[in-house]
Amino acid sequence: MNGAAQVTPQAVEYIRILPEIVLTIFGIIIMMLDPLMDERRSQRTLGAVGLVGALAAIVATLYQSQYPGVGFWGMVNVDSFSVFFHFLVTAVTAVVILTSYEYMEVQQIRAGEYYGLILFGAVGMCLMSSAVELVLIFIALEISSISTYILAGFRRRAAISSESSVKYFLLGSFATAFFLYGVALMFGATGSTSIAVIGQVLASGQPPVLAYVGIALMFVGLGFKVAAAPFHVWTPDVYEGAPAPIVGFMSTAPKAAVFAVLLRILFEAHAPGRLWLIWVVAALSMTLGNIGALVQDNVKRLLAYSSIAHAGYLLVAFAALPANGIPAAMFYTASYAAMNVGAFAVVSHLASAGERYVTMEDYAGLGRRSPLLAATLTIFLLSLIGIPATGGFFAKFYVFSAALQANLVGLVIIGVLNSAVGAYYYLRVIVVMYMREARQEVPVSPVPLGLGVALAISAVATIYLGVLPGRVLEYATRSAGDLLR
Amino acid sequence: MNSPTLDSAILTLVTFIPMAGALLLLLFPRRDRDIRIFALVVSVLTFGVSLHLPVYFERARAGFQYEINTPWIPTPNIHYHMGVDGISMWLVVLTTFLTPLCVLISWKSIHERVKEFFILLLIMETALIGVFVSLDLFLFYFFWEATLIPMALLIGIYGHERRVYAAIKFFMFTMIASVFMLAAILWLYAKLGTFDFVAIQTAIRNGQVDGWVGAAPWLFLGFFVAFAVKVPLFPVHTWLPDAHVEAPTAGSVLLAGVLLKMGTYGMLRFNLGLFPDQSRSNAPWIVTLALIGIIYGALVAMVQPNMKKLIAYSSISHLGFVVLGIFSFTQAGLDGAMFVMLAHGVSTGALFMLAGILHERRHTFEITEFGGLATPMPVYATFFSFIVLASVGLPLLNGFVGEFLVLSGAFRAREVYGILGATGVIWSACYLLWMYQRVFFGKVTHDVNRTLPDLDMRERLALWPTAVAALVMGVAPLLWLNAIDPAVQNALAPFAQLASKVVGQ
Amino acid sequence: MPDNYFARYLPLLIHFLLAGALASAIVLLSWLIGYRKPTRAKLSPYECGMVPVGDARQRFSVKFYLVAMMFIIFDVEAVFLYPWAVVLRQLKMFGFWEMLVYVGIVLVGFFYVWKKGVLDWGKATSARRGEV
Repeated sequence: MNGAAQVTPQAVEYIRILPEIVLTIFGIIIMMLDPLMDERRSQRTLGAVGLVGALAAIVATLYQSQYPGVGFWGMVNVDSFSVFFHFLVTAVTAVVILTSYEYMEVQQIRAGEYYGLILFGAVGMCLMSSAVELVLIFIALEISSISTYILAGFRRRAAISSESSVKYFLLGSFATAFFLYGVALMFGATGSTSIAVIGQVLASGQPPVLAYVGIALMFVGLGFKVAAAPFHVWTPDVYEGAPAPIVGFMSTAPKAAVFAVLLRILFEAHAPGRLWLIWVVAALSMTLGNIGALVQDNVKRLLAYSSIAHAGYLLVAFAALPANGIPAAMFYTASYAAMNVGAFAVVSHLASAGERYVTMEDYAGLGRRSPLLAATLTIFLLSLIGIPATGGFFAKFYVFSAALQANLVGLVIIGVLNSAVGAYYYLRVIVVMYMREARQEVPVSPVPLGLGVALAISAVATIYLGVLPGRVLEYATRSAGDLLR
Repeated sequence: MNSPTLDSAILTLVTFIPMAGALLLLLFPRRDRDIRIFALVVSVLTFGVSLHLPVYFERARAGFQYEINTPWIPTPNIHYHMGVDGISMWLVVLTTFLTPLCVLISWKSIHERVKEFFILLLIMETALIGVFVSLDLFLFYFFWEATLIPMALLIGIYGHERRVYAAIKFFMFTMIASVFMLAAILWLYAKLGTFDFVAIQTAIRNGQVDGWVGAAPWLFLGFFVAFAVKVPLFPVHTWLPDAHVEAPTAGSVLLAGVLLKMGTYGMLRFNLGLFPDQSRSNAPWIVTLALIGIIYGALVAMVQPNMKKLIAYSSISHLGFVVLGIFSFTQAGLDGAMFVMLAHGVSTGALFMLAGILHERRHTFEITEFGGLATPMPVYATFFSFIVLASVGLPLLNGFVGEFLVLSGAFRAREVYGILGATGVIWSACYLLWMYQRVFFGKVTHDVNRTLPDLDMRERLALWPTAVAALVMGVAPLLWLNAIDPAVQNALAPFAQLASKVVGQ
Repeated sequence: MPDNYFARYLPLLIHFLLAGALASAIVLLSWLIGYRKPTRAKLSPYECGMVPVGDARQRFSVKFYLVAMMFIIFDVEAVFLYPWAVVLRQLKMFGFWEMLVYVGIVLVGFFYVWKKGVLDWGKATSARRGEV
């Protein structure tokens, strides 16, 4: 870093990490309160603190967006791109906390750290989206990953949850090691860890072989985090075991953040050899994800495979030209976040104590037993299919048209065929909900307020993105301009 | 013409009145009777409003009328662009005409989850109308896909025994096929930066599209596959009999009456409109498939023991006529194709209603379960015979005009097409009349049938309009054709050039 | 000073060689001139401590792990103080305040660990507090 001349950061630079500071403070408050309170009654209070923290972070993000620029010796950069992802991550955090409220009570998990960890994870994710320096990105990635490793194992009485946590931890550390190795090689190739400098060096001449290897290794590490094939094998097991709200969290927020990192590294750093790498990974993810999902009976596993497939669709945008690809990818992350968090909110409500009811059969006749819940889930599933009037449709639409503008006809054909295959298994859930009678009477408790708000937010966001996608896409396009400048 | 504001708003009104009705219905308490009445009021209202279209339609004009074109989404450049010409206008009216009848015919047969049923039916109507009035490819695709879900749910929830299988089959067939169309639409957008049908058509005709020569055959196929599955053309027709047999009566009526026409309308509008050269070069095998469909559908219909399946296969046969007419590229053929679409909508819709009425009484569609029904149900038998005759193509009834025009167009295109197509008319007479004979004539073979009640007021109310329409369409086809003609001429304009070019060489 | 990249590491190489030579000299010398009197205890792998033969799967109290982890965590945190101390003069007051924040966060962690009862060996009840 070449900031030796000016040592002390200015006040405005703190604003550029304000959401992270806010989230950290609230996380610390939860940590301090937790051991002091009676653990049988602390849940609600701590959850409320967490929620306030997430909302405060949203406010901080909005405030921060008025002070764009670089901070802390060129390590963080606040631009509309980072603000977009900050907003996304904090909003997802708020919705997940709302969902967790009831879930934690039903599952009888009494641990205040839960909300603290969600906030700390959000710190890492926010930092990832604004970091423009590879070492800081690595640290942010670790902060977010370690929090999610622990969160995945929160159903401590279920062996499957511990399995999920350990698996995620082991493979995840492996992947971060790959990423770190890639960072090291990139440093060796270009002499810098700043993305902007790397971009200048790589654009100035024939990139050295080391840079290709570095990019490939970083991509392996990040590919693992977004569950892209062939680094996806952990996904179904981890998603099956982890608590349902947490699956909703970790399939959206960290993914969005990692995609932000990928966008920065691949586009801002003019990464060489990007096209074929992504082509293959995207095609594989879409195909393996969809085929895997076809045979699942457990809804959580089904959504896990679907998330692999969606990572594939998203990566298609990365193979496109930056000017269309970046906004398409950003839009996709946003709409995927809306629909997936919503879907998992429904799943976590229906799962009831011990996550007993998570198979397809348990959803039979839901259309009759709880029409509103079934209708909400239907919206999310239709959006995951990509039916018009939902966010999922425009997401796929932008991605594929960006790819077509880059003449990636083959990839688009694979994608389009895959979305047709994908329709089948989402539809299966809808069919089961509406057209099958329940074999055993699975109880559906009424929807509590927190969950209702969470569902309403996700459903409205999904529909909004599907009917009036203009503003969000416009913002994303502007961010892409910021990023490429 | 009426006031300009109403003119630009009328299509929006017609399209979204049912949707608004569905939303209101959502708030209704679960009192089934009120819900039924409300649904009927909404659908009749829609029909009434939609009559504005033919009444104030400038019949001599070929282009689109009642246009509305406002930007909807800036990126991608999607417009809320609607408009009708002589082709689509009648399909809109057909939709609004059939929906109230669907409501009437479902009055008693749907007694569980009534509210959801009528909500789905009204949403379905909006989507169907939207398909016909959209002039923005994106909007078109939007409505096109939107028809799938309510239809699949109607079949899957309210259908008969194998309803889930039929619903999934229906959904997957049409969904997978329409994905190809989406790919083609996306390609066009990527090259031209617009979804506007008229703009794309102009660009193509002026040769302003890069890489058009290489891509056009594939784009043609992309569109064609989506439409062919919807029509359905042999050999992708297998979803239709299942869907029809399992669907509730109202579902069958809309499916046969309107949904299938989406396919033929699409061929007419998009395949012919955007890809004249490719349509020309692909016509031989398409016509062959249509002819196979006509004859195969008729032959299979003949041996069906199930009344509804018989009507379903007869639909395949009749829609074959439509495709034959479209790909004959003659004025008469296209006029006829349009007319067959409308006539088939009315008479097959009526046939499904009649079959549904019988099912309500006996809970079966097996032909052998009936026999001699003319004795206990004389009014029913009269209606049935009238509709069967209309369907068969008796002169002065609606079926005749269309089939005659199609066949004369086919003869002009190529004689063998006409000859083979004409056999289809004979077959259809065979299977429908034979079915009629087995069901209604002779002695009453099953004792249960002796006491079957005849049509009540509500059923008569549902059937009278179709009978009247069948008669009027047969006697005064010009009322329809004089609006269809200019639009068809317009659609055929590039083919005239093409023909003259061929002659010139 | 030679310009070769690797030549700059020559002193290091010499250092390694010297260290190696010294170490081997000591071992060699003690082996050559040492005075040996083996006993049974002396020949066992660990002269003091546990018997190395038996079932490896023994149960340890989870407390051992907790303490070990705590040790590593606080150790790593303390390590950060060294580089900070080296450059504190350049960082001026900013460095001081930042480190105060850092130490504050470490203290919060310490407080949390303490309150959760990780440091209590004796009380079984408080050890369970974090478990439920």
